[in-house]
Amino acid sequence: MTSQAYLGQPPCLAVWFINPFTANENAESIFGDLLGEYSYLASKSGVTLARRWYWRQIVKTIAHLCGSAYRAAPWSATAAAVGGFLLHRFVCGLPHKLLSEVTDRYLAFWSTHFNAYLWALKGMMPAPLIALLCVGCIIALPARGREMVATITLALVLCALIGSAMVWTATHLPRVLCGCCGHWLIRSRSLLAGQSSERIDRLR
Amino acid sequence: MRLADRAYGVTVRQEIKFRTKREVSIGAIYATLDRLEVKGYVSTRLGDPTPERGGRSKRFFHVTAKGVAAVTRTQRAFRA
Repeated sequence: MTSQAYLGQPPCLAVWFINPFTANENAESIFGDLLGEYSYLASKSGVTLARRWYWRQIVKTIAHLCGSAYRAAPWSATAAAVGGFLLHRFVCGLPHKLLSEVTDRYLAFWSTHFNAYLWALKGMMPAPLIALLCVGCIIALPARGREMVATITLALVLCALIGSAMVWTATHLPRVLCGCCGHWLIRSRSLLAGQSSERIDRLR
Repeated sequence: MRLADRAYGVTVRQEIKFRTKREVSIGAIYATLDRLEVKGYVSTRLGDPTPERGGRSKRFFHVTAKGVAAVTRTQRAFRA
């Protein structure tokens, strides 16, 4: 197999997916093994089949790596996810609480400068995303080596809550549903991006 | 043990596929071998980087004496 010609790169998206899940000591071996077999399959059975095989391996590998990381330290992963959830509840409400405090205290100013108030409201829109980035970073710090398991568990819990909320909205307020979907997808992605940035920073 | 000094992720995966006719993922192989390494049943060493692996080295596994003893014990238990 080692004498096979090297045939192109595996799907970039698949590599990007698996990258955060591989621990430092295993990353090189896993990527090397996958690339070696991909090249062999691509030369033997064609690139399409090799790509399909690569994607299947990525999905199975991610499931196994998540499972083994969770089994290695179930309590710390669960604690990180629960802590992250509580932190998320606390942090995500902060920007709006802060705005309420400021508007209540300087009510006279805001009533005369209503446009400024509207700008402040618009400025608050990315605040929950920034808060989720911070939550992702904070979870990743104590859950080193298992940050993906902790953040994915938290993201799944949040997705389950969002799913329940969406079912309720679909049955009671169907028009609001479309707007909510995009908003919550971006928020989940922010959480994962937060832990990824902490992880990348650590690996450097 | 069958693969001797050629045991790394790809060959272990192929050997399992050949013996059991079941497809296992690379992730499952490494997760299992990591656990065996922690228990002291296998040891690892890094090989030389090769161009077909994108310049990445192979991680070779070797069954330790403790691992051989564990396999022998398990085989005896199965046969009994």
